[in-house]
Amino acid sequence: IDYTGVSSDSPCYNCAKNFTWNTTEPCVCTVNFTLLQPNVFMYYGLSNFYQNHRRYVKSRDDRQLNGDLSALTDPSKECEPYRKSGDVSIAPCGAIANSLFNDTLVLYYVDSNNSKIEVPLVKKGIAWWTDKHVKFRNPAGNSNLTLAFQDTAKPVNWAKPVYELDPSDPDNNGFINEDFIVWMRTAALPTFRKLYRIIQKKSGTTPTLPNGNYMLNITYNYPVLSFDGRKRMILSTISWMGGKNPFLGIAYITVGSICFFLGVVLLIIHHKYDNRNTSADIPS
Amino acid sequence: VDCQLNLYFSKKSFFKCALHSCYSSLVLFFIPYAAMYDTVRDDGKDIADYQSFALLTQTCLLFAVSIQMSYWTAVNTIFVLGSLVMYFAVTFTMYSNGMFTILPSAFPFIGTARNSLNQPNVWLTIFLTSILCVLPVITNRFLMIQLCPTINDKAKATPAPPTQRARIRRTSSRRSGYAFSHAQGYGDLVTSGRFLRRPALTRSSGFTHVGRTTTSFSPMGRSAGYSPTGRPQNNKVPNVEVTSLQMYRTITDSAP
Repeated sequence: IDYTGVSSDSPCYNCAKNFTWNTTEPCVCTVNFTLLQPNVFMYYGLSNFYQNHRRYVKSRDDRQLNGDLSALTDPSKECEPYRKSGDVSIAPCGAIANSLFNDTLVLYYVDSNNSKIEVPLVKKGIAWWTDKHVKFRNPAGNSNLTLAFQDTAKPVNWAKPVYELDPSDPDNNGFINEDFIVWMRTAALPTFRKLYRIIQKKSGTTPTLPNGNYMLNITYNYPVLSFDGRKRMILSTISWMGGKNPFLGIAYITVGSICFFLGVVLLIIHHKYDNRNTSADIPS
Repeated sequence: VDCQLNLYFSKKSFFKCALHSCYSSLVLFFIPYAAMYDTVRDDGKDIADYQSFALLTQTCLLFAVSIQMSYWTAVNTIFVLGSLVMYFAVTFTMYSNGMFTILPSAFPFIGTARNSLNQPNVWLTIFLTSILCVLPVITNRFLMIQLCPTINDKAKATPAPPTQRARIRRTSSRRSGYAFSHAQGYGDLVTSGRFLRRPALTRSSGFTHVGRTTTSFSPMGRSAGYSPTGRPQNNKVPNVEVTSLQMYRTITDSAP
């Protein structure tokens, strides 16, 4: 914040104008500003979970997830063995949907009175726009999702059927539930993080997450110990490079120095040998 | 000459090619892997998913192989840039809403190109990977040209002196060797193959000497010692053996 006070509409203009080395009284001026608080993003991270296994990645039916009615009752063969439960077809079918992450994480702020204040978490806006609006569609024909999914069964490992993922919001229920969409976007690496909730920035100078103690309430539903996996919750702010990953910075500095060093070395070689080459004779 | 020296399909060149491929494969996977590890988009959403990672790696590969061209002629440049443009056109088409609507199970990558290629993170990774892949190739080429130049490289480096050649031609165009009918003629010169200039240092071992050596040269034998310009025609190559043909007009001298 530049407070020199050169222009006449600056608060410190009077002080700047009248001040000389002889003045004994201090001159006071005030400058107002607002601190911008960023959004804080809450992720759940899993380790040793190979969402990039080929059989796993293929085990889905994109036509069914797009709301195709014929695929709803007759899902693709790729979903085996999670295709039908008994005689009824499963919606959504496949191993990816079956292993949906179903832990619930709630964040509380513990203030000085030891009272818990729940931090408001936003559950929409976490999936890609193209996924939510083009790739995943609920089956058409019935605004009542219970009726739309009536000839289907829930996936084997789920507690609730797909039309009860978020009954309070019809725009987040069924196949277009954002947590479901985020999970269906299979990760490339065995250690990954997926966006869970967003903590919105507050107006004014209130920090998004004030200093102090917090409590994380976990509804532990998801078993990971059977494959030596680990679960964690990550809170992060975002920059234009996305998250905190210093690799690109370090790599650029390293490669840049290598290139510079190589350039100098090759320049010396060129200078030394080029003179020899142009005066060299063509021997044959 | 290169083929005669077994430069293109020897064990050594195969090994060099294999080494370069191993290095490129490692770079093309591990740089995007490290760049995508625990990374997200600049609005917080996923970028380290299977489809975006695949797109990133294949784009890195394309840029790496496009930059590794040897000769940047106009036609080459147009075709390489054209193929890159085609790649992006096909990618965006395949990952568009339209194709997905037509056949959902065949085009599952919908939205990937749009959502990952607008991240500066991704473009910086692509740039870094292609530079790193191409660096050894360019260094190798540069060093080879400087330290062990082949005939082609040297020939490209030295400019042709055109004026001297034109002058020689014109002065002697009116004279034909057949005017010297009193001399032997050129029969045995042609059949012996000595009209090819022999090198003093045998760099290319492919040539064998056929016919007479120049020790039997006698200026009276061919054209009574007459030469069109009256001086040896190549001053730049003093260590080449003087064959008898150097006394005659020749087109095969300094300009290759």
